[in-house]
Amino acid sequence: MTDKASGQGTLGWFLQRISGIFLAFFLITHLNVHHLFHDITTSGLINFGSVQENLSSSFWWQVFYFLFVPFVVFHALNGIWAIIADYRPSGNAAIFLRAIFWIVGLVLIVIGAMTLINLFGGGV
Amino acid sequence: MSFKKRLTDTVADIGLNKNIGTFSFWAHRLSGIGLAIYLLLHTYVLSSAISGPEAFTMRMSEVQNPLFAVFELLLLAGVFFHMLNGLRIAAADFFGWSRSHKALFWLAVLLFVFLMTLAVVLQLPKFNIDNYSAGG
Repeated sequence: MTDKASGQGTLGWFLQRISGIFLAFFLITHLNVHHLFHDITTSGLINFGSVQENLSSSFWWQVFYFLFVPFVVFHALNGIWAIIADYRPSGNAAIFLRAIFWIVGLVLIVIGAMTLINLFGGGV
Repeated sequence: MSFKKRLTDTVADIGLNKNIGTFSFWAHRLSGIGLAIYLLLHTYVLSSAISGPEAFTMRMSEVQNPLFAVFELLLLAGVFFHMLNGLRIAAADFFGWSRSHKALFWLAVLLFVFLMTLAVVLQLPKFNIDNYSAGG
């Protein structure tokens, strides 16, 4: 049932749940700070200064977001891959798509990291 | 079996199995695809920070208005459903709670309604255009 080339392996199944549980925690925290409890009548619109101020309030935001980005990218791409795997792409198509997914994932993580470095005030 | 045949079989399967499991399975997949697309848009908007503070502030101002407040509410609905249903799946898989999956689904629905009510209340100022000029 789960051949290495086209199937979704047990590892993918397991990591999807582990990353999902982490993301539930990450997202509740992230949404509370940047979406739900950002009151525009008192704090105004979100801009570079407000984000930088928010993120520099604690060192832990750096740990938080540099972990959050790879987790969310992995969960998204592994999830889309699981859907594709359900429709059994042929061996070559599966190998090609997996390569594309790895490239897209790594590019997204690099863009995310560069964005974070700029928002934390380091500059690239 | 061809890819197209699998897709048509899938659609037929939904009609044949109208139950909670089928609904949550497809709602989870569709919300997941939606959230993956949002992740790309989110990365596009925030990556403007790489071009500098001015570019970031300008692009952020373009996505903060009452229309995007509606989109944000849709996003929150997708996130909350996917999160609660995902935790239900993980609980069923890891703790062997699959026999209680229907009760867990209704618990997820209850929490979803609670979180969405909270989100709508907290988002209310964002639906008023006047609030966007006042705060700066």
